[in-house]
Amino acid sequence: MSAALFVGIDAGSSATKCVVLDAEETLIGHHVISSGFSYPEAAEIVLEQSLFQAEGLREDITQCVSTGYGREQIDFAHRHITEITCHARGARQWYPEVRNIIDIGGQDTKIIRLNERGRMADYRMNAKCAAGTGTFLESIAMRLGIPLADIDELAMRSKTPMVLNSYCTVFAGTEVLECIKAGKPRDDISMGLFRSIASRIYEMISAHDGPVAATGGVVAHCRAMVRALEERLETKVLLPPHPQLAGAYGAALLAREYLTRPVQTSRAAESITECKG
Amino acid sequence: MPSTAIKRVEIQAQNRLRTLMRDYFLNLDAAAKDPDRQVAWCTSVGPCEILTAFGFEVFFPENHGALLGARKVSPEYIPRAIGIGYGSESCSYMNSDIGAALAGESPLQEIYGIDGPPTPDVLAYSTNQCREVQDWFSFFGKRNDAAVFGICPPSHLGEVGDHHVDFVRGLLARFIKQIESRFDKRLDWAALEEIVALSSRASTLWKVILDTAIAKPSPITFWDGLIHMSPVILMRGSQAAVEYYEQLLTEMRKRIDKSVGAVPDEQWRLYWEGMPVWPKIRELSEKFFDLRTVIAASTYCNSWAFEPYDGGDPLAWMAKTSIEIFINRDERFKQEFLLDMFNRFSIDGAIFHNARTCPNNTNSRFGMAQRLRDELDLPVLVIDGDLCDGRFFSTAQTMTNIEAFIEQLEDRRS
Repeated sequence: MSAALFVGIDAGSSATKCVVLDAEETLIGHHVISSGFSYPEAAEIVLEQSLFQAEGLREDITQCVSTGYGREQIDFAHRHITEITCHARGARQWYPEVRNIIDIGGQDTKIIRLNERGRMADYRMNAKCAAGTGTFLESIAMRLGIPLADIDELAMRSKTPMVLNSYCTVFAGTEVLECIKAGKPRDDISMGLFRSIASRIYEMISAHDGPVAATGGVVAHCRAMVRALEERLETKVLLPPHPQLAGAYGAALLAREYLTRPVQTSRAAESITECKG
Repeated sequence: MPSTAIKRVEIQAQNRLRTLMRDYFLNLDAAAKDPDRQVAWCTSVGPCEILTAFGFEVFFPENHGALLGARKVSPEYIPRAIGIGYGSESCSYMNSDIGAALAGESPLQEIYGIDGPPTPDVLAYSTNQCREVQDWFSFFGKRNDAAVFGICPPSHLGEVGDHHVDFVRGLLARFIKQIESRFDKRLDWAALEEIVALSSRASTLWKVILDTAIAKPSPITFWDGLIHMSPVILMRGSQAAVEYYEQLLTEMRKRIDKSVGAVPDEQWRLYWEGMPVWPKIRELSEKFFDLRTVIAASTYCNSWAFEPYDGGDPLAWMAKTSIEIFINRDERFKQEFLLDMFNRFSIDGAIFHNARTCPNNTNSRFGMAQRLRDELDLPVLVIDGDLCDGRFFSTAQTMTNIEAFIEQLEDRRS
């Protein structure tokens, strides 16, 4: 098969994701792996797997955009775009009416607000802290010796969730241990963790107006996270078909758009010149 | 994208600046070692003209704090200050400076081959910028068995009225009497008038230089300003500062005439609100340079742009200028000031630095950034950081924030 393919690589702090689109913007290949020690190596693997799924070849790639914390290490990308712009683009493709996007990543949480024309009006990232991120959950799960998937299962059975007062990963971990010592149900402790993240996010999005969508690995794997968000925000949270792929999907869509749209700045022009296709 | 892709045009005047700075610190060191000369420490918008008129050589600890930050050595010293009871979220200039003194170290040793900050005979502060200087200076007063005098003007002012000026003038007059009494000196009022005139002249020139950034492309950036503001702080009241700024202004005007921008191919014009992130100045300036973005104006560099002195009572001018500064004003004044700056400098977006240990010089904690965003439909970005303490700054997160901000501007323009 030989066709124009558009590729998005999201080299995130925890996972590296790839999406391959055809010329009609149909998602025909994707793959996710742990980022591990090397973004370039992870990117090569996800690209290879995604192309295999898409029945495409490397030479079929017309344009590639990389995003995520490791974006600048992806040499074969034609452009590097921030994950903020890419998540916004991906979520908007799935939900054109969306006005607020919550992306809970491994290292940070982003709140992106779109205007009525679907353009980025504002965005916020969490402060330099693991509070409200996937790392918060992973860290406490590790401390408890329970797989993250099990914490999600437990949380979904909770009837009266615990209230954790601390956002800090270290202090929250201590609070959890205190709850365990006090004999509190594991279900309720687990849901308390998700509620803690939702409360932290609420601080950044409390003034939301319009539909809300959630993206990222945490909501992809934890139903309890979506439930906690919906309860705290008192609104329905839209969950895309591939929440963890939103950044890579947005990057691939932008790769498609940049092919047909004039380059806006010389920075972009320079980027295209310098990146190896 | 390496910053070598486009070439930075160096400011020629900086060679002279290096000489001026060297002379300034060598003179301070010599004065500190000479039993017939005396050294005063002063806050950056404190009563330095009076001290100079009394014959003191004046040192500014805030400059030393910034130097410790810029040289990335604050993390070595801040824990020492915390260890003797200063808060981990107290002013990182203060903590860095106190910690460096406790360690007996200073970048001045390496840069100029001097012992470090000159030992003070007197310390004079004004709380017009923050209250922390009181404790900062008290520490060094006690450590050096030197007199500490404080001027505490009214703060958070809206309109600055005559009664405010009269009150602060009274504080300055009392300060003069305190110095006269303590050191058995008499103030040379003619000298004070001359020093104030020079101080005003340097300050006025500095403001004109900063205003050259109204031009497109801008001949100067915030990052340049952080280097070239040294004379208006350290050498205010000297002929050398005036002559330096005359040279710099000539160079900036030539740049405008030839359309030479500080950032070649300038695409975006931003405003920087709040303190610099001293340890990351190089990385941040290169990032904006690569993004073809000029930080055309800032509140910080304008902190030493005073109203001109038109003769008359020098104490009244000092009183007025010391309380008129941005940091000493109320929220309403600050918002109007920023609105005016955004308009005058054709700003595309504003960055607010939330400096963790400097609440007084941080204006993003009470909704101002959002109010300005909504009122002007102007993109704003709040970044978390600090002036010296790297624990509060994430390079990767901040760089992503900045890149996303430019992407937002691109999206708006497309």
